[in-house]
Amino acid sequence: MSEKNCCTCPETVAMATVPMQEWCEIYDWNTALKEGTIFTCLNLPIFLADKGKSNLKTNSSTPTSGQQEREELMSRISAISFAINDLTLYLDTHPNCPKGTPLFHQLSKERMNLLTDYAKKYNPLTQLSMVTADLNQNDYAWANGPMPWEGGCI
Amino acid sequence: MWAYEKRLQFPVKIKKTCPKTAQLVISQYGGPDGELSASMRYLAQRYTMPVKKVGGLLTDIGTEEINHMEIICAIVYQLTRDLTPEDVKTAGFDAYYIDHTKALWPQAAAGIPFTATEFQSKGDPFADLFENLAAEQKARTVYDNLLRVIEDPDVRAPLKFLRTREIVHFQRFGEALEMTKSHLDHNNFYYFNAEFDKQFYKPEDHC
Repeated sequence: MSEKNCCTCPETVAMATVPMQEWCEIYDWNTALKEGTIFTCLNLPIFLADKGKSNLKTNSSTPTSGQQEREELMSRISAISFAINDLTLYLDTHPNCPKGTPLFHQLSKERMNLLTDYAKKYNPLTQLSMVTADLNQNDYAWANGPMPWEGGCI
Repeated sequence: MWAYEKRLQFPVKIKKTCPKTAQLVISQYGGPDGELSASMRYLAQRYTMPVKKVGGLLTDIGTEEINHMEIICAIVYQLTRDLTPEDVKTAGFDAYYIDHTKALWPQAAAGIPFTATEFQSKGDPFADLFENLAAEQKARTVYDNLLRVIEDPDVRAPLKFLRTREIVHFQRFGEALEMTKSHLDHNNFYYFNAEFDKQFYKPEDHC
């Protein structure tokens, strides 16, 4: 099935028409998270956007190398997981997309491996990753780790 | 069924306490165009949507809006967690403090409590999809307004992310509108209500 799909109806009076998005150039996953979409064609910032550059990563106190590694792994999980979130909505309305569907499966596998890795090294972020990481069955690991809203490990 | 994941969709790491900013941002928690209202709107509408894939999209966007509610709450919490008795007197947050101390409670910036009357679940696919298109534009406007007055880059980064999501969701609801139209007769989209008049609606119909 081509990118132009069957959902386009003839234009009529008294009804709005929104063009179906066609697959466009996509960002690397870190940029996509920062911008709020993987699709370059949907990134439409307001003129105010550049006021005050984010110092999210740069001005925190120098972390220990262990903390730095942990934050890097968490950043990769955030970026890959967000790419899947955005791709999911695209595929909900473009279910037969030949580019998006294989990418969705590839990213989902990567995400599972990263979550497993994080659960083994630090604490589980999902209950499923307690199983894939084969955690000690006598440890209630779900209670471990910081709460997400504390902003400790991003 | 929902399963919790112990992380935010977009990281929030705010260093500077600012109750005044918290009092503005809280509108996207419990205000008329806030994330709580958005998630409840889409998750309420999905049951009766005639096109199955549109019900799926409403589930996925409704779920993402819950993530956004968590981001907004994390911003408000981090802006107020180190509040001193002196900070409490800041105009705008003093009245909130009296009723809720530092706890999260869904309200609009002007203090109006969250109310379900601010979103619609009408039971007609066009009425509901246009409601959703408008909701995304209204939420984008609130993020524009917040970005105009808030300077702290730690707060601006998640707000910019959330603003872009409103535009992406607008596009997806537009596509959901096209999917719905493709199942109906384009000579008169209003001949029947596809969520109610089942004798006319055949899900397999295509334009």
